[in-house]
Amino acid sequence: MIQAPDLPAWAAFIVAFLIVTGAAITLIGSFGLLRLGSFYERVHSPTLGTTLGTAFIVLGSMTCFSVLQSRPLVHELLILAFVTITTPVTLMLLARAALYRDRTEGREDVPLIDENDEQALAEI
Amino acid sequence: MTSPEGLLLAMLILPFLGSLTAAFLKPAARTPAWALTWAATLIALGIAAYLYPAVEGRAVLRNEIEWLPSLGLNFLLRLDGLSWIFSILVLGIGALVTLYARYYMSPEDPVPRFFAYLMAFMGSMLGLVLSGNLIQLAFFWELTSLFSFLLIGYWHHNQSARDAARMALIATAAGGLCLLLGVLLIGKIVGSYDLDRVLASGDLIQSSDLYLPALILILLGAFTKSAQFPFHFWLPHAMAAPTPVSAYLHSATMVKAGVFVLIRLWPVLAGTDAWYFIVSTTGLLTLLIGAWAAIFQQDLKGLLAYSTISHLGLITLLLGLGSPLAAVAAIFHAVNHATFKASLFMAAGIIDHETGTRDLRSLSGLYRFMPITATLAMVAAAAMAGVPLLNGFLSKEMFLSASLAEHSGTIIDQALPALATLASAFAVLYSLRFIHQTFFGPAPQGLPRIPGEAPHWMRVPIEILVVACLLVGILPAMTIGPYLATAVHSVLGDATPAYSLAVWHGFNPPLFMSIAALGLGTGAYLLFRKTLNRQDGAPLIRRLKGRKIFEASLAAIVDTARALERLLGTRRLQPQLRLLVVVALLAGLLPFTRLGYGLGDHQGTVVDPGFAVVWMIGGACAIGAAWLAKYHRLAALILTGGAGLVCCITFLWLSAPDLALTQLLVETVTTVLLLLGLRWLPIRAEEVWPGGRAASVTLRRAIDLTIAVAAGLGMTLIAYAVMTRPLPGSVSRFFVERAYPEGGGTNVVNVILVDFRAFDTLGEVTVLAIVALTVFALLRRFRPAQESVGAPAQQRVQNAIDEAREGRQVGDTLKDYLLIPRVIMEWLFPVIMVFAIYLWIRGHDMPGGGFAAGITLSIALIVLYMASGTRRVEARLRVQPARWIGFGLLLALLTGMGAWLFGHPFLTSYFGYLDLPIVGKVPAASALLFDLGVFLIVVGATALILIAIAHQSIRRPSASILRQQALEQGEG
Repeated sequence: MIQAPDLPAWAAFIVAFLIVTGAAITLIGSFGLLRLGSFYERVHSPTLGTTLGTAFIVLGSMTCFSVLQSRPLVHELLILAFVTITTPVTLMLLARAALYRDRTEGREDVPLIDENDEQALAEI
Repeated sequence: MTSPEGLLLAMLILPFLGSLTAAFLKPAARTPAWALTWAATLIALGIAAYLYPAVEGRAVLRNEIEWLPSLGLNFLLRLDGLSWIFSILVLGIGALVTLYARYYMSPEDPVPRFFAYLMAFMGSMLGLVLSGNLIQLAFFWELTSLFSFLLIGYWHHNQSARDAARMALIATAAGGLCLLLGVLLIGKIVGSYDLDRVLASGDLIQSSDLYLPALILILLGAFTKSAQFPFHFWLPHAMAAPTPVSAYLHSATMVKAGVFVLIRLWPVLAGTDAWYFIVSTTGLLTLLIGAWAAIFQQDLKGLLAYSTISHLGLITLLLGLGSPLAAVAAIFHAVNHATFKASLFMAAGIIDHETGTRDLRSLSGLYRFMPITATLAMVAAAAMAGVPLLNGFLSKEMFLSASLAEHSGTIIDQALPALATLASAFAVLYSLRFIHQTFFGPAPQGLPRIPGEAPHWMRVPIEILVVACLLVGILPAMTIGPYLATAVHSVLGDATPAYSLAVWHGFNPPLFMSIAALGLGTGAYLLFRKTLNRQDGAPLIRRLKGRKIFEASLAAIVDTARALERLLGTRRLQPQLRLLVVVALLAGLLPFTRLGYGLGDHQGTVVDPGFAVVWMIGGACAIGAAWLAKYHRLAALILTGGAGLVCCITFLWLSAPDLALTQLLVETVTTVLLLLGLRWLPIRAEEVWPGGRAASVTLRRAIDLTIAVAAGLGMTLIAYAVMTRPLPGSVSRFFVERAYPEGGGTNVVNVILVDFRAFDTLGEVTVLAIVALTVFALLRRFRPAQESVGAPAQQRVQNAIDEAREGRQVGDTLKDYLLIPRVIMEWLFPVIMVFAIYLWIRGHDMPGGGFAAGITLSIALIVLYMASGTRRVEARLRVQPARWIGFGLLLALLTGMGAWLFGHPFLTSYFGYLDLPIVGKVPAASALLFDLGVFLIVVGATALILIAIAHQSIRRPSASILRQQALEQGEG
């Protein structure tokens, strides 16, 4: 493991707080993945980690290295930006795929499509 | 190049250079191809003629170029009297054949290819006669086999030509292997492959125990090449080649190669009993059988082919007798035969060309249509028959007098004069038949074409050769005399006998034998000429079908191979893999059973709990993937990805960011490509064994599991034993220390890849490019399994919905499906691209590099393809991976070669610092360009494979399949 003995105590506390908070939020999201009932509920919980969790960890990292190198380091913000932009893509793709499957299987608890479509599907 | 040595090399290179150039001409470029061949041959011939003074009086011209001096092997060209006279034959008749072929080849034939083969063959033959060491001789020997294969099979649309070419190749190349073994034995005896040293070690060779095996192997080579009985079968079939090829191969070159080697090695190999019995018996048998079979041929070229066999037998017999006088006759006859046989083949070609047939039975009275050709053919045939005042007569006289001379007193020797006369009578008979049947008698009827005289320039080669026959025949001492003397002296040296090249030797026994042969042959023809036309194959030897034996032995070889394959091979993947793993396991176990297993001194470090958890997750993923691989491929694939990620984390943990980065990227691309491929796998039925699993299946699985666990455990134990030992002194320290001072980069991994081991990298990326092209080529013609041929269910559902809804057309759903994710993915494309370039630039000093950058860019492409679909992407973006690969390879190669400009070895890299405005000082190494090449190749290769798979999805099944499916649905 990479240690950071040069980090002053006050900074270490801040960094530790940020990282532990981020990790905890991500962990909660992962628990959600385990505990929540349906796919549509489950799909939301990991996003907690990829947005808020990542934000805290990125902040922690920025603080840590800015203090260590005595200059503001902000390029971790890029990580945050890209993770925030790309997570919804995954979310949408997964949700649409699940919706598609449930519709073709004719499940009751998903938003329906109109009747014409149902007829068309029945013919296939 | 103007020194004699340089000219010698130029003479050999010219035909090959011409061949290479002709090969790149367009098929329609008849005249350029011909002119090229003609010029190359004439220049080479001029050089050969110019070099004559260098070989006069037993002088030898040598040009030695170092090749493998440590093994005593050099590329050595050696010109002496014998090789000079053969060079003149090869090039001279080559030039005439070239001229002839220009008019002979039909406009539909791709003539440049023909001339390319012809020149390559000429060069190989020249290389053979000029070889100064035995290995080189065997090499050019095999080259002549190879190019004769191409020449005989030139009309490859013709089944018989293909068969004949293959037969000739197998016979002569197998003989070539024997020859190689033979010369290796000679080299072992003498201690050198240098021809001059070998020729000086005759006694040493003949007294060695290895003499007999070496002799037999060399003779096998020579006999197959020179079509000696019983290996003569390939020659008549080779008549399927275009006539210029026959005229060249069977007069001056191919078949003379065997004779040439016999003459070349005559001073060291001849003179023993073994030589006498094997060579003279084979020669005599071939002489008689060839001549006998020639009498009964109905095909013009067939007759000439068997007469060639017979004349080669004559030369072999002369060499076998072992007396210097007979050897002189052999050399002389080799030259004479080349001249008259080449002209006869060309005449036969003209007859075939003009009448459309080569069948002696349907030819007749052609003299009135083509008097000039007829006269020329008559003179040449008379030379073949041994009529006085022609060159054939002189060498035959020498043969007859050699047959009379006392040699050994054995039965062969006693019967030789009589048999020689008989064979000469046969020669008279078939020559007479050839001429009389073709040119005399009533006018031919029912010919495919009205015959006429051939173009003047097509006859010129024959005219030249016939004039040569006449000049040599009438004035031998003034024409061929000095050159023959040079050749003979170069072979026989001090043993050269006194011989006389005169037409008139007085009334002596050979003359009476000659007259008897002429009388016998003419009489027999007059008696039997009607009967001969009714014959179908030669009596007595009809059963001796060399071809049948050859084909039977080939079939036997193939059958044996098949039987072995059945016995040892399997087409099933599982047994193959099982065998492989078990063998590897046993091989790995073997050293431990003998030397024992022990751990090293290093004590294990404390396991970090976090790391252990990560590894447990990875292990679980791997096992899960294996568990699910059979029925749940998608899940298995995702789990594999999980295991890959754990690998990546491990690399990071152990401070190998470069590896981690590459692992992450490769993992991404692999998963996507595998996902794309999943669609084409057949659906697995869960219930494979309807009535419950058989016990044998359970047992097999248990065994497989045991093997797998054993192999895994074995690997673990070995790895553990290795890792508990101290690291031996390896090169890694060297790399770490030299990376910056010598490579100019702080990223050691990258410096190794693009600088220290750049040549390896170049090889690897080349392989990568080849693999990508191969995958592309395979997938382009890929036809999926029947059940996955149609459009995927999702597409069909989509289209059905589009059709059902009011105001929608098919494809509308697709157009705005998942619009937002698509836009995000499309916008990310340039971002990932910038990232890739960043990885490439910083690669020399920090984690990154061309490979990682390439993979990154391909991920960007994959994302784009996934977001927009194949058609949309390709409508907007020029995706040309093959060009990227080509450009990348070129760039890498040129960067490497750039070092030459500065006098450094290939792929030496240069590094320095560039001062850029705004950016500041940046490190710049020439290795960066090399890395760009790698970058491009990797992108190209990945994209090529991706595209090949992606295009499968948009490919519509062929019309016939769709129709068939519709039909089936109608029935159902």
